[in-house]
Order: sequence, then structure tokens, then C-alpha cells
Amino acid sequence: MRIVVAEDLYLLRDGMIRLLEAYGHQVVATATTGPETLDALLTWRPDVSVVDVRMPPTQSDEGLKAALAARRELPGLPVLILSQHVEQLYARELLADGAGGIGYFLKESVFDADQFIDALERVAGGGSAMDPAVITRLLSSGTSNRRLAKLTEREHSVLTLMAEGLSNQAIGRRLFLSDSAIGKYTTSLFGKLGITDDDDSNRRVLAVLAYLNTP
Amino acid sequence: MRQPPSWVASACSGFVRACAVVGVSMLGPGVWAAAVALWIWWGAGAWTWIAPFVWACIGTLALSRPVSRMFRSLVAKWTGTVIPGGYRQARPVTRMSTGYWWNGFSYERTRRDAIRDQKMRVRLTDPAVWRDLRFMGIAPITAGLIAAVPPAGIAAAVLGFSQPELSTRLIGVAGLVVAIAGAPYAWRSAEPVAVRFLRPSPAMALADRVDELTAQRADITVAQAAEIRRIERDLHDEAQARLVALGLSLATAEKLMKTDPDQATALIRDARAGAATSLTELRELVKGINPPVLTERGLVDAVRALALDSPLEAAVSAHVRLRLDPPIESALYFGVAELLTNAIKHAHATLVRITITRDGTGVVVDVEDDGRGGVAVRAGGGLAGLRGRLAVFDGTLEITSPAGGPTRARMAVPCESS
Repeated sequence: MRIVVAEDLYLLRDGMIRLLEAYGHQVVATATTGPETLDALLTWRPDVSVVDVRMPPTQSDEGLKAALAARRELPGLPVLILSQHVEQLYARELLADGAGGIGYFLKESVFDADQFIDALERVAGGGSAMDPAVITRLLSSGTSNRRLAKLTEREHSVLTLMAEGLSNQAIGRRLFLSDSAIGKYTTSLFGKLGITDDDDSNRRVLAVLAYLNTP
Repeated sequence: MRQPPSWVASACSGFVRACAVVGVSMLGPGVWAAAVALWIWWGAGAWTWIAPFVWACIGTLALSRPVSRMFRSLVAKWTGTVIPGGYRQARPVTRMSTGYWWNGFSYERTRRDAIRDQKMRVRLTDPAVWRDLRFMGIAPITAGLIAAVPPAGIAAAVLGFSQPELSTRLIGVAGLVVAIAGAPYAWRSAEPVAVRFLRPSPAMALADRVDELTAQRADITVAQAAEIRRIERDLHDEAQARLVALGLSLATAEKLMKTDPDQATALIRDARAGAATSLTELRELVKGINPPVLTERGLVDAVRALALDSPLEAAVSAHVRLRLDPPIESALYFGVAELLTNAIKHAHATLVRITITRDGTGVVVDVEDDGRGGVAVRAGGGLAGLRGRLAVFDGTLEITSPAGGPTRARMAVPCESS
């Protein structure tokens, strides 16, 4: 895949490039500031990009802003956001356009390189991938607590993995269950929440998140 | 039995009050008159005036504070106007490590000496002493003089009726009329005079403000030092220790790579887990110092992020785009965090409404929950700490929390509009 890496810290940028190249991907451009990132994303139109949230010149959420701006120009441009901290607030903003191709992870998620590359490929394919830390917080906040009270423990863990962006097969592998068992759980939990099930995993994530988002 | 008409009652009580005002304000002139009488009685001599003069000075000084106090309490009792005394308060004496006592001015060998010395110095340096002395001179010729009209009228009436001539009787009648008509009003001059001359002067108010700021600065310095110690301890016990362990694991793995690849792999996996854990700990630590979202987005979005993470249903409404000074944003952010924690832990609330607005003078944050109420600000508690942190910016924390709820908290910090 052709990848753009936007990260202002040299050590992390260098490590990221080495990791991606070790997995046979090609880093076509790097960026170290917000404006550079926007520029690189729009010129190169990469298969996927890895973007840091906090970057110069303002050291605020430059990277996030650049990614959102690029996706307004090119809807669905696959972007994976990396950050030292994850916020539900940012996750909601990233998912708000409903176009898919969004990933949002803590920087240490690269420690598990296989899973990280897996997520990156999912994003490149137009799916979504969310850090477990975001999803845990999303599912345990006030509104969600009330709405998800009806779910069984197993349904809850299936929902969590689903919201992270995993497909039925991947969920089955994680929970050591068969595809058909997962299918049964998803049908029952969607029934309980009153959302129409969808085969497309991305639309499914969005449906779940939209459901939790409504006040 | 018939009630006496109301004007009789007001004339009677007014007369008594006027007598009280005259009595209190004439204490000073009384002392001076006594001193003059003493001087005359001793007869004329080159130095005979010295002793009466010293007596008058000591008497005036000793009476000044009681007279002011009595005047203030009379005015407060009759009109409800409370005039702050603004007397300088003695700070607590503390025992130093050397065993001596420090009272803010000097070191003393015993606690009793320290307190005695401090009392004297506080008295001598208090600007309120000069104000009270000035009042001793002013009161008799203002409030004292006016309040003296009804008693003087009565005196004239008594004298006039004791004589058989018609003219003096007429004077007596006039005195009586003046006394009765003036009684309900004559004492009232005490209030404006007391307000004008007995309130703390601007210099005293300034001195109070300096004292307040000094105390605040001391509090902040202590709090900051404690905070830095906590951060140092956290880094030392957690992140640093973990990095050392990580280095150790990697060193051992390097050694075992050839001889026992399986164990080396296990060690490397441990090292990775350790790195992830120490990142999580550092993240928590950073969040406690300054939440990253606050730096990246400012107060409104940071509070939104906080509300999203809260186990309560928290609604945030803010129709302002505002970027405040970072210290103020930080204080308000942690204030909201503290109030949310209270709503969960103590009030057992399920719903919280957070409103951020700006008015003419500054920014106002309201936090309202549906909990069981009964929240009080206790000295040394979290809310008192919050109030202290807001006070640094001249901000305030108001809490209304009747038993049974709901609890409403309002933080307001003045700042320039932008």
C-alpha cells in the first residue's frame, strides 16, 4: 500500500516508517506539520495515512484538523489517527461524516504490530478501526450504561469488538466462538437495541455508535 | 386598656436612644472636662497642667476603641447597618524548630511572651487606632450635638417650669415641644456619622487585601510544592522503575537469545507489556497535571470530553467560543471534574447539566445535578480547596444544596472579554 506518515517527532516517524516497510508497504510521503499533512494527503491521495493528532505549529490538534479537512475534500480518504491519549469526543468527530475509512488508536497500539497492520488494512479497505480504550469508555459512559443494561455479558463483549471495527470472523477468533454463534449474538443484540443489522461491518459500527450518540 | 399612640412610643424610644448616643459620644469630652477641672482645682502653676494632660491622653486612647465598638453596636442594633471594624487580627504564633516562638514580628522565648508582644505590636501598628481616635473628636460635635437636642429641651423645660415667671415658663413650653418633636429624629444622625467615620479606610481595606493575598500566595506555594512532590513520587515509583525493569528484561533477553530463544521471546513480550503499562501510567499522570484535550481544544471541548467519559448522563451546553488564560481554564476544568466526582460519590446523582456562559464580567460555569443534596463546603475539604484555587483569580464558588437536592454549583471567574 502507498502510505503517508504525518508525525512531528523524529524517533516515532522513523520507527513507523521502518515498521510499515518491514510489512512490505511503501511510505510515499512524510509530513511534520498540520499544513504539510493536509497538502500531502491531497496531493498523494494515499491508500491509507497515519496521522498524529498533536503537531506544529500550534501543538494543538493540528493533525486531526488536517485529516478532517482532507476528508471534506476527498470523502472517505482512509486515515488512521494516532495519539498519546484517546478521547470519545475526537472519535465522534471522526466518525460523524459516516464515510468510513477511519481509524483511531493510541500510539502504543503499534506494540502489537500484527494487529496494528491488520487495523491499518481494514481502514484502507474503507472499514473502521477503533482503539479498545475508546470503545470501552464509549460503552461505559452515562447514556450507554442505561441503554446497554439489557444486554447479556456475552452480547456486551460482542458489541465491544464490533464497535472496534472487527468483522464477524475476527470477533469469533477473539472470543473462540464459531461464526454462526456470533451471528446469533449479533441478531439478538441488534434486536434488543432496536437497530437493523447490516452485513457491512462498517455501516454496522456506525449504526451502533450513532445509537449511543443520540441523547 | 388603651394602647398609647405610636408617636408617643417613638418619641420615648427616640429619647432613650438620643440619650444613649449623647452618653457614648460625650465620654471623651467628659474625660477632657475632668482633666481641665483637675487642673483648675490644683491651681495655676508652671507645670501643673502636665498630669491632667497625660491623664486626658491616656483616657482618650483607652476609651477610643470601646467608644467605637459601642457606637457600631448601637447603630447595628437600631438600624441593621453593620459597619465592619476592620481591626487587624493577630496571626497565630508558631513554634520554630529552634524552640522559640515566632509571632510575625519577633522571636520570643515563651508562647506567652510571644502573644503579649504580638498584641501590643498589632495594637500599635493598626491604622484603626487613628481612625478611632479621630472619631473621639468628631462624634461629640456631630451626632453627639444633634442627639443632645431632646435632652437639652427636657432640661430647659424642667428649669423653666421650676420658676414662677411667665417668660421662663414659655421657654419651658418651647423646650418641651422641641424635645418631643425632635426625639424620634435626633438619634438618627448616628448612622450616617458612624458609616462615614467608622468604616475601614481605603488604606485599611488595602492592608486587608494584602494580608489576604499573602495568605493565598502561601497556600498556593504549599499546594504547588505538594503537587510537584506527588509528580516526582509517581514518576519515581512507577515510570522510572518500569523503565529500569524493561531495560533489565531486554538485557536478559539479549543474553538468552542464543541459548534459550523461548525464554528470550517471553522476556521480550513481558518488556512490551511493561512499556504499554508505563505509557498508561504516564498518560494518567499527564492527565492529572494538564489534560491534553484542554491544551488541544480549550475549556468547552475539554468539559465535553469529560462529560462523555463520565458514568453519569452529563449534558453540556455552551454557546460561546472562548479561549481563556490557560491557568483559568485549568482551574475551571478541574473544578468541573471535582463537582462531577461529588455528584457521583456523595449526591448519587444520575443526571448532570453543565452550562458554560460568559457575562459582562467574566466566565460562569454552572453544574447542576439531580442528586440528594446536602452538600456543604467544609474546611480542608475538596470544595474548600476548589474555592481557594478559584480565589487566586478572584473567582468564586457558590453552592446551593438543600437536603433532598438538587445541588447547584456556580463557579465564576472575572476575566476580560475577548
